[in-house]
Amino acid sequence: MPNTTRRVMVDVAVIGAGQTKYGNHPLGLKAMWAEAAAKAFDSVDNNFEAKLVDEAFIGSVAFGGAQLGNTAAILTEHSGMKGCSVRRVENACASSGFALRDAMMAIKSGEADIVVAGGIEKMNDLSAERKRYWLGVSGDTEWERLAGLTFPGTYALMARRHFHEYGSNHDDLVNISVKNHMHGFENEVAHLRKEVSFEKAASGFMVADPLTLYDCCPTSDGASCVILAADHVVREFTDDPIWLKGSGAGSDHLALHDRSSITQMSATQKAVAQAYKSSGLGANDIDLAEVHDCFTIAELMATEDLGFANRGEGGIFAREGRGRRNEGDVAINPSGGLKSKGHPLGATGTGQAVEVFKQLKGIVEAPRQIRDAEVGMTHNVGGSGATCAVHIFGRDR
Amino acid sequence: MMVQETIVWKGYLACVGEDSCVVQSPWILEEDCVFGADSDHTTLAVAAIQLMQNNGCQLNSINSLQDVDAQIITMTTGVEVIQPLEDDSIELSADWDLCIGDDARVVICKNDSDIELWEPVGTIEVDADFHQEITSAWQRECEPNHVSQGAYVSQQQYEEGAAARLNLSGQSIDGKMIWPPRQMSDNGVLAPQASTPLQRVATVESWTKLAAAGAPSEFSFRAPILGGITTVFVRFEQGPRGVFLLVDDEDNDPQIGDQVQFVTRRIYAQEAFVRYGLKCQIVKQ
Repeated sequence: MPNTTRRVMVDVAVIGAGQTKYGNHPLGLKAMWAEAAAKAFDSVDNNFEAKLVDEAFIGSVAFGGAQLGNTAAILTEHSGMKGCSVRRVENACASSGFALRDAMMAIKSGEADIVVAGGIEKMNDLSAERKRYWLGVSGDTEWERLAGLTFPGTYALMARRHFHEYGSNHDDLVNISVKNHMHGFENEVAHLRKEVSFEKAASGFMVADPLTLYDCCPTSDGASCVILAADHVVREFTDDPIWLKGSGAGSDHLALHDRSSITQMSATQKAVAQAYKSSGLGANDIDLAEVHDCFTIAELMATEDLGFANRGEGGIFAREGRGRRNEGDVAINPSGGLKSKGHPLGATGTGQAVEVFKQLKGIVEAPRQIRDAEVGMTHNVGGSGATCAVHIFGRDR
Repeated sequence: MMVQETIVWKGYLACVGEDSCVVQSPWILEEDCVFGADSDHTTLAVAAIQLMQNNGCQLNSINSLQDVDAQIITMTTGVEVIQPLEDDSIELSADWDLCIGDDARVVICKNDSDIELWEPVGTIEVDADFHQEITSAWQRECEPNHVSQGAYVSQQQYEEGAAARLNLSGQSIDGKMIWPPRQMSDNGVLAPQASTPLQRVATVESWTKLAAAGAPSEFSFRAPILGGITTVFVRFEQGPRGVFLLVDDEDNDPQIGDQVQFVTRRIYAQEAFVRYGLKCQIVKQ
């Protein structure tokens, strides 16, 4: 049981992490979650049991309404955690990024020692028409949606403006797409495991001008789960924990037209500033980053907002291959990112943490392993940038 | 006395006199005047009233039959629309009449005045298949059982923001214009009611054309017929920015820096309730 005496400066570690394969999944919600949770439990080195979990935070948009209310209760019921304190966390595509942050804070508060953060989304069991209604429900419904916008449209507006202000171009976005497909090709849990040539990615059919099919992530099913532990209990479970060194989160206007700029995301900037400050680290310390590339322009802008590229130089960063695995300055989306690994909305944030956990443990499939990885980052954005959670993980405490 | 000169007004054809005007769709099908892709008698009536107002006419109220959406006309133009009830309990007391017929044409005139025949210049023959498809799509969209399967703007939510949507009413907060209206300022102070209209001219800062497959489901019947829908992100001269659809009849791609003006059009319908709004037209240089 947790020590409820208020404890300050508790360090938090990830002791286990697992996920389903992303894609058009044959399993339903309960079975997907059970699979992800079981893999997370099994990944803990020693002595883990589900009944040890004090709290669970499960991110989900509840896409399609299959289980809109009490989502977390039914999922924990089917994964050996019945009875613990649970809730669904909803912040659009950043739901489980915030679930992770909430889980960390639960431990830091002293109210919990073992906490699960996870996420889930089932998106491919709906009819095409119903799915279209649900895509984009996290954008501004009253104004943007009535102007014909869902997320391809809002990100297309950002892309065209970025091209105009900074001279970036669609070839830069194509480079991002090609890189992420190359990274995801060998990822066993990726949704789209195929390499894509520059020529093919450049000639995809137009979805929202200037964004083509190859600029857009797929619609994925999937679940992911990470297990966090307070510093004083970590050694009961592993001698090789991955420390959660920094966390930050921010928000911004929901609608693009209310923001001061549509070529940068202030929610990301706020979140990463907090994460760098709380970790004592900076952009130059990051070896790999799982970045929220729901659209290629989102990754381009994120490389600037996270400090990997100067303002307006995200296109150059992509063009020069500075985010390529084991070649560039920092490996951006070694999993393949949302573009290739997939994007099961509520599961994406903790799915990013699963990848970073495995990379820092050195247990990723050989071609994808980032050499000498010590510090990793996750960057999880809700919608078109209304919410963002950033986490920094490290092998050293 | 009506001048016989044809003018282009809000995407329609019009002629105007001292105490009357005619506004009609430019689209012709087998000699009949037919609606464009997102127009109806309500949008034509709004354009006609705005034309009279633009010519200095003091129009406070107007008589009309019930074939137009009076609330939309009033919110957009400020003109009260007096419509008869079935029990004849309301007298058509305005000095002006809004007359509509079976075709895509409206007339505004003083009571009992004579309207001269007018032969508009600049009509365009519409493709018959296109017209049939878009008309059929609107009929399906306007059916009561056409309901949202997900994201939803209820009639109440639409009506709450309709005035700001239709007449671009903004808020002046700390010397700064805000639109669309907000509940509180950035400092957490309750915001005043939206009452300051924005100028109806803006500049394109970005734009996108969504393929039919990329458009929200609210547009799923019509987007394939239209070949997609175009959205512009614009900045008003007073500072606020907004997103608007380009009018469906516009077939030019916008460019960043283009000036746009605003016209009232249909946006979409669900549950037999049409959501109207402003759409943009590129101002031809």
